[in-house]
Amino acid sequence: MRTVFLASLRTHIRRYVAAAIAVAVAVAFVVVVGVLTSGAHSGLMDGLGAPYRNADHVVSAVGWPASVLDPKAAIAFTERHGENAAATGRATLPARANGRRLSETTVGPIATSEEWRWQKLSSGRFPAGTGEAVVDVYFALAENIEVGDRVRIGEGAAARDARVVGLVESPSPPAQAAMYVTWPQLLQWRDHIHLTAVAVRGEVGQLPEGAKAQSPEGFAAERLTYVQNRVNSLSVMLLLFAGIALFVSVLVIANTFSILFAQRLRDFALLRCIGATRRQVVRSVRREAAVVGVLASLTGTLVGIGLGYGLIALINALTPTIPMGAAELPTPWLLGGFAVGLVVTMVASWLPTRRVVRVSPLAALRPDTAVDVHTATGLVRLALAAILLVTGLTLLGLAMVQDSTALMVAGGGSVFAGVLLFGPVLVPRLVRITGALLGPAGRLATKNAVRNPRRTATTTASLLVGVTLTTAVLTGMATWRSSLDEQIGRDHPIDVALTSPKEPVTTDLLNRVRHTPGVEQAIPVDGAVARVAGLDKAIPVVIAPAAAQVARDGGAFARVEPGKIGIDSEAFGKNLSLRPGDRVTVHVGDRRAQLQVAVGSGWGPVGVVAPETLATLTDAPEPHAIWIRASSGADPAQLGGDLDELADPVGATIENGLRTWESLDQQLGIYAWSALGLLGIAVVIALIGIANTLGLSVLERAREHAMLRALGLTRRQLRRMLATEAVLLSVVATLLGTVIGVGFAWVGYETIVKRALSDATMQVPWPLLGVVVLIAALAGLLAAVLPARRAARVTPAAGLSLD
Amino acid sequence: MTTTTQQATQETVAASARNLTKTYGQGDTQVHALRGIDLDLSRGRFAAIMGPSGSGKSTLMHCLAGLDQPSGGTVTVAGTDLGSLDDDTLTIFRREHIGFVFQSFNLLPTLTAGENIVLPLELGDRRIDDAARERAHMLADILGVADRLGHRPTELSGGQQQRVAIARALITQPDLLFADEPTGNLDSTTSAEVLDHLRQSARELGQTVVMVTHERDAAAYADYVVTMQDGRIV
Repeated sequence: MRTVFLASLRTHIRRYVAAAIAVAVAVAFVVVVGVLTSGAHSGLMDGLGAPYRNADHVVSAVGWPASVLDPKAAIAFTERHGENAAATGRATLPARANGRRLSETTVGPIATSEEWRWQKLSSGRFPAGTGEAVVDVYFALAENIEVGDRVRIGEGAAARDARVVGLVESPSPPAQAAMYVTWPQLLQWRDHIHLTAVAVRGEVGQLPEGAKAQSPEGFAAERLTYVQNRVNSLSVMLLLFAGIALFVSVLVIANTFSILFAQRLRDFALLRCIGATRRQVVRSVRREAAVVGVLASLTGTLVGIGLGYGLIALINALTPTIPMGAAELPTPWLLGGFAVGLVVTMVASWLPTRRVVRVSPLAALRPDTAVDVHTATGLVRLALAAILLVTGLTLLGLAMVQDSTALMVAGGGSVFAGVLLFGPVLVPRLVRITGALLGPAGRLATKNAVRNPRRTATTTASLLVGVTLTTAVLTGMATWRSSLDEQIGRDHPIDVALTSPKEPVTTDLLNRVRHTPGVEQAIPVDGAVARVAGLDKAIPVVIAPAAAQVARDGGAFARVEPGKIGIDSEAFGKNLSLRPGDRVTVHVGDRRAQLQVAVGSGWGPVGVVAPETLATLTDAPEPHAIWIRASSGADPAQLGGDLDELADPVGATIENGLRTWESLDQQLGIYAWSALGLLGIAVVIALIGIANTLGLSVLERAREHAMLRALGLTRRQLRRMLATEAVLLSVVATLLGTVIGVGFAWVGYETIVKRALSDATMQVPWPLLGVVVLIAALAGLLAAVLPARRAARVTPAAGLSLD
Repeated sequence: MTTTTQQATQETVAASARNLTKTYGQGDTQVHALRGIDLDLSRGRFAAIMGPSGSGKSTLMHCLAGLDQPSGGTVTVAGTDLGSLDDDTLTIFRREHIGFVFQSFNLLPTLTAGENIVLPLELGDRRIDDAARERAHMLADILGVADRLGHRPTELSGGQQQRVAIARALITQPDLLFADEPTGNLDSTTSAEVLDHLRQSARELGQTVVMVTHERDAAAYADYVVTMQDGRIV
């Protein structure tokens, strides 16, 4: 059998190429995840403990990350220890460099003594006292800051100027900030500081409430475990996608083996005829599968290593703030990936090889030369499919009633397995219906496509997996986004609010705001400066009957009932002592009113009241704010910067709601597109599968094609026939996947989204789904290119002399 | 004078080959399948090309039918020089002017017998109109497979499959009908039936039939026999 095995390997190895690629891609996926995971681990290890290296104790919050250190107590604690303590943490503050507004900037402390200082100088010098700052190199790079530049940190009365004296590297995630100033300087923004930990030398003494002391090693280990767990949960997510890719490759390999073995049934029968035992034949073909598995897994592992390290280099080059260490080879991952590839290949070949066993030696002697493999759909299979479908649908129903994610996943899996098993009955019918739309031109293609129901079903199943998940993700994203839009509209009704707390805004300023690029609409908001009990500073109280013109919530936030005052909790930050329902006295000059506080967000540091209320407080309201609606597509940072240029000279401040809007929108986009990108790998494998099935079928039908050519089918017609077949398969898989995916998304919406966002409505992105179907059709066409070219190359005469 | 001769020739000759050669391979391994064949096939008659295996008879048929390109010489079918046609026009020419019956029947397993018969019309994007359907039925009637039209090839006997193949070859009313060892896979009774049908096609439908065979009994059904040996007509 050795000779037979080797000869067969030589002859058939090329036909395994596509299946091997499918396995290799999936294995490479696993290995890349492994390399990235260990790269991230080692990147995080470096430098994490640096700020605490000379400490005897590290004081941090008990129950972190759920609870944090109380800033006031922690600052007091640090002050108490003087030179024997150094705090790590940061304050998030508005900042400007060279007159240009920066994005929200984190400012951390930098010690003046060598032993507490952990930042590494990359140019310039360390700050010696107040009025000097160093900037993180990568932040400096992103914001174009150089040594010698002037920065202004903070806003209004708390604003301080500092000169950039150096650039530093700061590779410790718990202590990292964009800029560093000396501790005394940082304390000027005392109210904004959050401390993560305090490094202490010598006795700890009385701990602040809710704090614990650890050894530096213990603290580093705690933080490391936390970060690593986050990295690891990310890896698990990625592995989930790798699992999907692996599952799709199982389908592709299983199909390849069953097609190849079906084509070689006569050979196997012949071997049995001349005295090979069943065991020998089966062992020979299983060994073939093992060779394919080993070669494919090896290739996948090597490609994965290359790709993984390439990605680490790329990530380090593109986003230097995410530390990625040059990981050593993650051996367990490599072995794991290799083993998974091999096992997957062997498992996928198991069923097809079992069919080989059943071949009767007599088959070799039958004159019938046509290889027309018909597979019947067993009753067992249908019964199992029915059970899975019914169970799955019941579970999904229960999941929606009970809001249970676990039930939803189980139900979804069960339904999907049922659909896959039902495939040989369902898919050919769908192909016939779709093919009928093509008229007589597509008839031959349709018949070819459904010739072998099980093969057709497996081929489409691989694509079905990817498309179902893609559709579910797209629909989920659309639903989530539309409800988020609503919620953000409520939380940030005004894109940009320009507030002048003292002087009224001038018509000239309003005009200049209106002419700023990116401003679609700007309205003046009238009011009067008032002292509100419980707020340190005077704020304008305003009325905004025209808010609907600019507000994203239709102006609902500005329709305040008489006797109430609407306060923006975000504009006043954490120090707002007013709570909803509090009764406060509001003074304008010598007039006063008792008002009840209502809290909202997104319109800046003004109190919104009803027109009646304002009338009791003043007779001559003046514009104290400008509320702006950005045009769609405006760059939030640019617009915010431009408006700030106008506001700053007249002592006005701006609240940029658009930026929050954009960052949430971006985050959602990043999640959705990375999910789609990762699913894309499964889809690519599925397309390789379609090309493969078609290619192998073409070999099988060489005689038929030659005969059709002899009868007068032109090359172009032959190619078109095969392309139609591939397009039929991919379009049917895509349509089915779209229906199931939208169904799953609906269940997910009922189960998860509705619970999280009560007034969300289901959104199906039809145009996007249409694009998916179109792409699938094009990809099907692409998958047919090579097989069709090969088929068309056979000359009629050559085809007829084939045996 | 010459013109009239040519016209006369065209009326009586369905296809002709002039100095036809076909060589496979190069150098030492060169095989001369055809060594200068001159042949005229008369219109409306049943010709048999005979010879032992390796004599070049299949190659000759492939060249005459436009399935293969000769190395030298010309083939003219229905007044058209096949050498002047590119692959597409040649394919369309074949579809319209030439019919085939193969040794191994070569029916499409996915189509019914009836669908197989009208397949050549469909390939030419011709509408299957009433006339075509009528012709298909007439042919099926003549060939005795009228009651099997709804069956798949696997449900037909060898003889029935071959008769369906003949009907398929005749549906386009080709100028030339080639039969490549049509009885090779059939028993003697069925063979006789099939050969009878081929002869009938020539006599009653005026169909030019060229049959390649190595069986003397089969050749006996033909109007005339061309015998080949070592790539030459003897």
